[in-house]
Amino acid sequence: MMQAPVATPSGFSQFKTLLGKDLRLEIRSKQMLTSMGIYALLVLIVYGAALAQTAWGFNILQMAGGLLWVLVVFTSLLGLNRSFAHEKEFAALDGILLVPLDPGVVFLAKAASNVIFLLLVQLIAVPLFAFFFLASTAPAATAPFIVLPLLVGTLGIAGIGTLLSTITLHTRGKDVLLAVLFIPLVFPLLYACVSATSMALLGVDDFGDYWRSLAMAGGYDVVMILLSWVLYGFVLDA
Amino acid sequence: MTQDTHSRALANRLAPVALVLGIVLTTVAFLLSFLVAPLVLGANVAQTAIIGGEAISNKLLLSQKIFYIHVPVATVSFGALAFLAYYSIRYLATKNQARKPFFDTRARIAAEVGLVFIIMTMLSGDLWTRFEWGVWWVWEPRLTTYLILMLLMIAYFILRTAIDAPERKATFAAVFGLIACVDAGISYLITRFVPTSIHPVIFRTDSGLSPSMLVPFLLALFGMALICFALYRLRLRQVELNQRLESLKLQLEEN
Repeated sequence: MMQAPVATPSGFSQFKTLLGKDLRLEIRSKQMLTSMGIYALLVLIVYGAALAQTAWGFNILQMAGGLLWVLVVFTSLLGLNRSFAHEKEFAALDGILLVPLDPGVVFLAKAASNVIFLLLVQLIAVPLFAFFFLASTAPAATAPFIVLPLLVGTLGIAGIGTLLSTITLHTRGKDVLLAVLFIPLVFPLLYACVSATSMALLGVDDFGDYWRSLAMAGGYDVVMILLSWVLYGFVLDA
Repeated sequence: MTQDTHSRALANRLAPVALVLGIVLTTVAFLLSFLVAPLVLGANVAQTAIIGGEAISNKLLLSQKIFYIHVPVATVSFGALAFLAYYSIRYLATKNQARKPFFDTRARIAAEVGLVFIIMTMLSGDLWTRFEWGVWWVWEPRLTTYLILMLLMIAYFILRTAIDAPERKATFAAVFGLIACVDAGISYLITRFVPTSIHPVIFRTDSGLSPSMLVPFLLALFGMALICFALYRLRLRQVELNQRLESLKLQLEEN
């Protein structure tokens, strides 16, 4: 039997193909971005009702970092739930698994597409949050530094979230289960990111504290993404 | 394999003994902590008061007695989680399909016993918080870490019940169990070392125990460790007997 010499595509081109597939699907359907965007807007409206009765002296800036992260976590949860939903339709995931791919590449591609979608939603949601709630406040000059914790936090959320949404794909009641697994796991990251975001918004004397919080969040990212990357093969095989 | 069955038989014989010994040790420690260990001085009281014929200028903390139960239980719960992590790694690492259920059962039971001890830690810790700090709950690093740990262990069991296929259930549980243990460590570090401008970390050093305090503490620690080991072995034996019964039933049906 003659065998055509086939060059195995490099890991990076496999990664590009998988990521391109997710992006193309999203550009055509716009399913995930619209649902996440509308969900983020709805969370903001709930905030509006929740904060409507607060007094004039109430300093929302002290809470703003926390509120922003509640928005990010719940919006991400919705997105992560959806990120594998379309892989299950028409057994698309089985198709990917038929190709001899390194599971690490599948993980990185999925995590990368999740990072992109989450950042795109934040690009809309964070200015909207500022528009609705921070218009009459005076954030510190360091306020633009909230970008870094948002970035680091999103990386961690996407990393651990990709692993967990693959796990919950095959379970009963997967939407609730993802939240049950995801929120306690992501808690340390959330804690560090809220700390860094709040310090950027409020302004602190010693900005080293901000960097320390950010380094903590970064440490979580490194450990958890490495661990998810290593363990992803087991999850895909099962 | 004979060595394995031999040591298992020994462990099974030891389990009831360990349970009784553990109960005796913890009871003795409990009694010693009240009868021998001195009361700990707390914060200064605003006015010197006469209590029981003695002038007291410090608040004596009877609630500190919880320390002799709470800290051993918490320490032992970490031990159980170490076993969960160990067996999860063994499960994922082994290539031998026949050995996999062996590790999975052990990881699950370590998590079960761990959860029991974590809940005991939370309950005793919460009482202590109430009487020493005056509130039922504060977002203090250790409390926060433990709450997260408890939620992770509960999530571990929710995950297990949500999957039907036994092999997939075992693999996912092993992956999640391992991540949860790592996350608990990170959670401890982050809640402790992330700078918070809002409230100070309440830092206590309970080192430098006098012998009359150290003895009941160590007795309780060993007692709790023995109880934990015994619970683990007894539960393991029950599960294994149950598995054998199920396989025998299956054989009977086939014949």
